[in-house]
Amino acid sequence: MPTIAPNPLAEGLHDYRVGEPCLMVIFGATGDLAGRKLLPALYNLAKQRLLPAGFAVVGAAIDDLTDESFRKHASEKITEFSRTQPIDQRVLDAFLSACFYVKVDFSKLDEFKKLQSRLGELDTSRHVAGNRMFYCATPPPTYETIVEQLKAAGMASGAGFHRIVVEKPFGSDLKSARELTSILQRVFHEDSVYRIDHYLGKETVQNIVAFRFANSIFEPVWNANLIDHVQITVAEEIGVELRGAYYDKAGAMRDIVQNHALQLLALVAMEPPLAFEANTMRDEKVKVLRAIRPITDEQVAHSTIRGQYTKGWVLGEQVAGYREEKNVAPGSLTETFAALRLYVDNWRWANVPFYIRAGKRMPKRVTEIRIQFKRPPHITFGRDATRELDPNAITLRIQPEEGISLKFGAKVPSAGLKIRSVTMDFQYMTAFLVETPEAYERLLLDCMIGDPTLFTRADEVEAAWKLIDPIEAAWRDGRPALAMYAAGTWGPTAATKLLEQDGREWHRP
Amino acid sequence: MRAAGEVTAVKPEADVAWSGEDVSVGDVLEAVTNIRKKFAVAEAQDAELPHPRPCVMTLVAVAMTDAEERRAQRATRAIGNHHPAQIIVIRDQPRLRPGRIDAAITTDTLRSESACSVQCEMITLRVRGAVGEHLAALVDPLLPSGVPTYLWWLGTPPFGKQELTDALKICDALVVDSSRFDAPYRSFLELTHLASSSHQNLGVGDLQWWRLESWRETIAQFFSPIDRRPFLNGISEIGVDYAGDGRGNRVAAALLIGWMASTLGWKMQRAAAGGGGTVVVHFAAEGWRPVQVALRSVPKEHLAQGEISAIRFAGAAGGKTFQLTVLRDPDRARRPAPDIGAGGFQSLVPTGGEDEAGFEIAQRKAAWHRDVLHQNLDSLHHTATGDPPGESRPPHPAVFVRDRRHEENTRVLLTLIDIGGAETLRHVQHVEPEDEATLLLGLLSHGTHDPVFTRSLAAAAQLMNAI
Repeated sequence: MPTIAPNPLAEGLHDYRVGEPCLMVIFGATGDLAGRKLLPALYNLAKQRLLPAGFAVVGAAIDDLTDESFRKHASEKITEFSRTQPIDQRVLDAFLSACFYVKVDFSKLDEFKKLQSRLGELDTSRHVAGNRMFYCATPPPTYETIVEQLKAAGMASGAGFHRIVVEKPFGSDLKSARELTSILQRVFHEDSVYRIDHYLGKETVQNIVAFRFANSIFEPVWNANLIDHVQITVAEEIGVELRGAYYDKAGAMRDIVQNHALQLLALVAMEPPLAFEANTMRDEKVKVLRAIRPITDEQVAHSTIRGQYTKGWVLGEQVAGYREEKNVAPGSLTETFAALRLYVDNWRWANVPFYIRAGKRMPKRVTEIRIQFKRPPHITFGRDATRELDPNAITLRIQPEEGISLKFGAKVPSAGLKIRSVTMDFQYMTAFLVETPEAYERLLLDCMIGDPTLFTRADEVEAAWKLIDPIEAAWRDGRPALAMYAAGTWGPTAATKLLEQDGREWHRP
Repeated sequence: MRAAGEVTAVKPEADVAWSGEDVSVGDVLEAVTNIRKKFAVAEAQDAELPHPRPCVMTLVAVAMTDAEERRAQRATRAIGNHHPAQIIVIRDQPRLRPGRIDAAITTDTLRSESACSVQCEMITLRVRGAVGEHLAALVDPLLPSGVPTYLWWLGTPPFGKQELTDALKICDALVVDSSRFDAPYRSFLELTHLASSSHQNLGVGDLQWWRLESWRETIAQFFSPIDRRPFLNGISEIGVDYAGDGRGNRVAAALLIGWMASTLGWKMQRAAAGGGGTVVVHFAAEGWRPVQVALRSVPKEHLAQGEISAIRFAGAAGGKTFQLTVLRDPDRARRPAPDIGAGGFQSLVPTGGEDEAGFEIAQRKAAWHRDVLHQNLDSLHHTATGDPPGESRPPHPAVFVRDRRHEENTRVLLTLIDIGGAETLRHVQHVEPEDEATLLLGLLSHGTHDPVFTRSLAAAAQLMNAI
């Protein structure tokens, strides 16, 4: 692909990230994802003047709507779900004037041709030079039909760019993930496929990279020489809510570990990329995922834990057990908690365990990464003086209280010599006091600009499934046994023992 | 990106206010230290260790009038609500005797739902007499270590004087608003001299440059698509309309053109005054391709003096012609000026689109009587003071300085795009209110070492010198 020189007039403009004008077709435009996330995110981009002249949204769904009724629907959803309130009516009106609607039954090629015709009209009047962005805000089983129809209607080629955006899950195992990749790549080049994992759009996730590679003081200690182990916790206090039917098939491993948790691990463990640029970043992440030591069938029983919550108390309220949730099978064996011990087999991380835990109905919603350092090789001050001294640790807090803390020892002010742990705490809120943008705003903008850095590439997805598939297979055979835990606790006792047998313990977030 | 977060300012529990008359800087420093200790103890409550004290900068604001002091306090307090900072407002009253310092310290405590509390302190020093000429000695003892110090001069800094030179020695950057300079033409050139001759570590920021950000964004957006990139080498004409008369009001327009010229490598050839206050500047682009720029004064009642109201580009490349027009507040421009007589010209000169020449002519005719009055006032002042036209303000105006800039409110930018004779594309953007605090916050957040600004400033100075 020829390199295009950057726009010289954009140099020095702050917060200037504007893509080329394009038509964004949202399949499933009347659905929940579009209403809750996509349309409000686009409105907020318009409010920040980040949508270029000519940009337009074309809603495509089975509902029989007109441009006007779609605009009314969009207006209601934006008003209800926008992160910025109150709504700026003038911005909203200007945004809605660039919203259009075409009724499309995904099974009918004729309706795709009508959509193509409408896009052609808009192409001329809005000077978008044929640029298209197709967003599948629909269930994964529809992806194949949509992609094939786009090809058949001649909508996936021609002048301008043609990008397709799909939402996770990207398959349910390695085989289905490869099938999905094959379907997408039959019509779109991999560079034009944008797999959204909204976690990667979070500012604090991106900050892991900034923290590691924009500061020279951390990188020299970021290796097996000084780090004892790493803990990654992705905890939710909520249950499955309305997602029972989906979740009962997926479980915590597929829903969280395969994507979010492994992405966090990759960002923490990766080598410095040459630049914060799509392929170099993703190359480094893939190297980490491929370097994770596979958990063999024999190791599954003592390197993984699966749990399911029973009734209990969360945030002061009594909640039902998983099997009593709506759309969940009464005898379900699906895990709502997963814990793993992983090793990254490369020079930097040799024999450093990475403990991952992810679960629902835990005491609170928290995502954090804890880098636990080794104890000093010699205790200069004696055991009595350092009884209350913990090893150094860096905690990267992703949510909800975004920040970074460093734990180290300090002398207690007194006549004697006592050393105890203190924490140097950096909180985003106190340093910047600004609201971070919604992940979808960042990701939609990146897609318009053509920057896939924060999107998952096919080989990343496959590398993750290669790791997860053998574990899932053993779990289906009942190894290890499903451990129950009361809602509102940090998971089953077996998870505690997973670390205890290594002489370690979970950090309490 | 650009939105403010949910932080609640509340009255602090601790005794965190102090004031004193005829005090020394040592007294102020002691009071500040005591306030910090009390806050730390109060916030720690049952915890054994106090919370960390974040501070991202010290902002020193120098005000010469009561109005400037109020503006400084309003803006700096708003900034403190977004970035934990130490703020020092200096009210310089050099003509008052005897020389002494009256000081006051106030604090705002900011509480967040998800983080520990932050205390932002504002120290106001009212200095009389010669004390104010030694700002460095006044401020240096109060500066916390390790955070940048910004000097915001609210009016016109004393360019070339030792007072400013000394103050800049303890600061990382000087921030001004060239649209508020008393003698904008002369002071702007002095600013460009300072920026080009000062130490490379000293940053220089101009709020006027930040006001141009939305214009620059809109122009850059037009040329961003790959298929329109060749248009950059096909620009043949640019027109910039600005409010107000005289060369002092051309600063913003000159900065915008300086930005274009320095970015695209245009060399200025000559400049000439045309009719009706229009100045035409000729540039040579790559390959000696001519680019003609017209700067026009167009009366706009709702704009402050010197503000840009419209910019137009025309040209051709790759066998296609293009026109880009960006208009500020087109709806407001439709309103008849109050001193003309409602609708009088509208009935005589029908108007249609936002950019119709007829409408513009009608507006110009309508403003003619007022222009004559302005011109006469200008020449009268010129005769009286010797200041060049456009600098028609006394050195320390009590009223005009406040009027020079309106309190900003939300703006609308209407972009009209014509490419190759196709249907005109309209694009409406709403620009958030540009109050001083927002502008200052934007400038400080993104740093004061901006090479694009520096080179645009130099190019603008060359243009201003020529006209």
